[in-house]
Amino acid sequence: MDDLLAARLTMATSLGFHIIFAAIGMVMPFFMATSHYLYLKKRVPEDLELTKLWMKGVAILFAVGAVSGTVLSFELGLLWPGFMKYAGPIIGMPFSWEGTAFFLEAVAIGLFLYGWNKMHPWLHWLSGLVVGISGFASGIFVVAANSWMNSPAGFDWVNGEAVNIDPVAAMFNRAWLHQALHMQVAALQAVGFGVAGLHAWLLLKHPSSLIHLRALKIALTFGAFASIIQPFVGHFAAQRVAEFQPLKLAAMEGHFETQRHAPLLLGGLPNVEERVTKWGIPIPGALSFLAFNDVNAEVKGLNDFPRDEWPPVLIVHLAFQVMVGIGTYLAGLGLLYFYLLKKGHFPRSFLRLLIVTAPLGFVAIEAGWIVTEVGRQPWIIYGFLRTKDALTPMPGMQYHFYLFLVVYLTLSAITVWLFRRQLQVAEQNLRSEHQGKNYD
Amino acid sequence: MIEVLLFFLAAALLLYVILGGADYGAGIIELLPAGALKDEQRQVINRAMGPVWEANHMWLIIIVVILFMGFPPIFLTTMIHLHIPVVALLLGIIVRGTAFTFRHYDAIHAPRSQAIYSRLFGFSSLWSAFWFGVIGSALERGTINPGTLDFHEAYVAPWWGRAPLVMGLFVIAIFTFLASVFLIGETDNAKLKRRFRRIGLAANIAVVLFGGIVFLVARMDGSSLPAEFFSNPLSLTAFICSTLLFGVLWNMARKGSALLVRIVAAGQIALILFGWFAVVGAAPLRTVQGEISFYSAAAPEATVRQLVLALCIGSLLIFPSLIGLLRVFKFR
Repeated sequence: MDDLLAARLTMATSLGFHIIFAAIGMVMPFFMATSHYLYLKKRVPEDLELTKLWMKGVAILFAVGAVSGTVLSFELGLLWPGFMKYAGPIIGMPFSWEGTAFFLEAVAIGLFLYGWNKMHPWLHWLSGLVVGISGFASGIFVVAANSWMNSPAGFDWVNGEAVNIDPVAAMFNRAWLHQALHMQVAALQAVGFGVAGLHAWLLLKHPSSLIHLRALKIALTFGAFASIIQPFVGHFAAQRVAEFQPLKLAAMEGHFETQRHAPLLLGGLPNVEERVTKWGIPIPGALSFLAFNDVNAEVKGLNDFPRDEWPPVLIVHLAFQVMVGIGTYLAGLGLLYFYLLKKGHFPRSFLRLLIVTAPLGFVAIEAGWIVTEVGRQPWIIYGFLRTKDALTPMPGMQYHFYLFLVVYLTLSAITVWLFRRQLQVAEQNLRSEHQGKNYD
Repeated sequence: MIEVLLFFLAAALLLYVILGGADYGAGIIELLPAGALKDEQRQVINRAMGPVWEANHMWLIIIVVILFMGFPPIFLTTMIHLHIPVVALLLGIIVRGTAFTFRHYDAIHAPRSQAIYSRLFGFSSLWSAFWFGVIGSALERGTINPGTLDFHEAYVAPWWGRAPLVMGLFVIAIFTFLASVFLIGETDNAKLKRRFRRIGLAANIAVVLFGGIVFLVARMDGSSLPAEFFSNPLSLTAFICSTLLFGVLWNMARKGSALLVRIVAAGQIALILFGWFAVVGAAPLRTVQGEISFYSAAAPEATVRQLVLALCIGSLLIFPSLIGLLRVFKFR
């Protein structure tokens, strides 16, 4: 494994790991704030119990997210000093705001986790909400920093140096809005369906449990709503990509030949050697329409770009198909949920479906980030700096990769184990409830 | 504008050393044999650190952001040539943060798993504190060599040697000292109070001792830092005051007033940092090829202005919320 590949794999692993915890960390507080609000308003004991159950999970995940985020802030410099040399002064601004938001989040979570019975109940509730708001804001800032890599702005490139730096213009580059929207909605989806899947499983085991039913409704209402609006957000994002990164769009679609009335391919395997995508199902004109709202618009193909600037087409295309496929499925499931909610009954088959669905939102997030990041290759700053030129001069990056791979795998295993133990105890409580025993 | 940024950097560093340092120190204290007090001590540390540890660690993020946005060459040279100690530090940070949280939030409090979490928390605290010292020392030794292609010379030699080693031990002593002074006021158990007081006194002696050895080793290695330190009126005054406070502190610790003792201890460490800053502030990074000053490393004016703006607005949000946090948990 060469150093470049090792460094890229390390970055992919770190981000792929962190994003799961980050997504949960910024969405779960809203679920908790909802159940907590319901409790404070209506005093149903299950709502309080649910808030505390979720809180324990969040505390565990937040700690893992916080430390893996700390690692990432160093890793930018450890792995890509050539990137940070230019990027630091230009896109440091969203990072400094992210730092502020994250700081508030850390203070608020301290208040929320340990502040039961120590603060006014509504102030305590507010601290929980602030965890969510600042977490959400910090997510937006980080995505804004990433979007600058796709759509560099706020500087002039003179003789290989960045001059006339404008950090504000860099932060509000042309890609920040669609990327931030797309990611935040995706986080709501993934966490909504993820949490719902967990409670669906518990609800199948304990059909009369009010706590899991309420949990399911709260999580799914967020998740289903996000899933229904996500196709529109995704469409908006794709149009922006078509405009500013046509090469990435071409790779996403496995689209080689520039053409008017371009077809959208469902599935298919791009063959870079033969410059053709085989076995896809074409929908005539659909790609032109999706990219430019016009079935006859011209969509640029990969062949129009220098070969050495192509991203790995196969990976980008497949990841994109996975993301869109899951997004479509979740949107359908979201509609089904609202229909069933109106009918007032969730059949067991629906609960089983939710269990299977639970990890899919996260798979879609990972796939989406593969599209964004792999789709930008070979550039680290699109059009200005290649990834290989940003790499640290230090050799032996594969050891760095192996080390962090082991760390992340271990942390994942322990987190899963801790969750099982939490659920074990929660279930014991449920059982003793059924036997009429008093429980805490 | 750069001066304002430096003020924020110094403030963040000071707060991180004092608050984060006490946090690391708590882990180190758990490693020391406690006998029958062990469980009680664990509970005190959980209660004292639980609500604040995440906030305490945000200062590190602030420091990193100020460095990579405001002074990129300093950040990058450090990340390239001190890659190995930085990774070692990060491993420690990962393990201690998660072990501490997992210990509290493991639904089943079995003695065996609790003991493992505690062990991990303790050793990783010690480990991280050590690497902070190593990195701090390596920045000032002048052994970082951006010109070489030789692996050992470029990535190992800058932080390898007795000076970084004793600096690591010095930081361990400082963090232990801060934690024990902080913890005295966190418990009503007289035995535990006495224990923290004793550890604090021992750690304070260790601080003075290792501080001396740091200077001695630096001199033996031919560094100009000790001479600079003692010829600089600011750092010399800070040094003398810090040593004098030693007597005041332990006189006070016997009589009570946990808050005052904390303030004096924090003041002692602030003086040490201040003395250090007075000497190395002009050249925070020394390499084989010469010194890199904050002024020569500073990012363009527009960037510095935005960063200062973000820090000012951030402070308006962060400080009131931090004070709120402390009011709820520390000054009841």
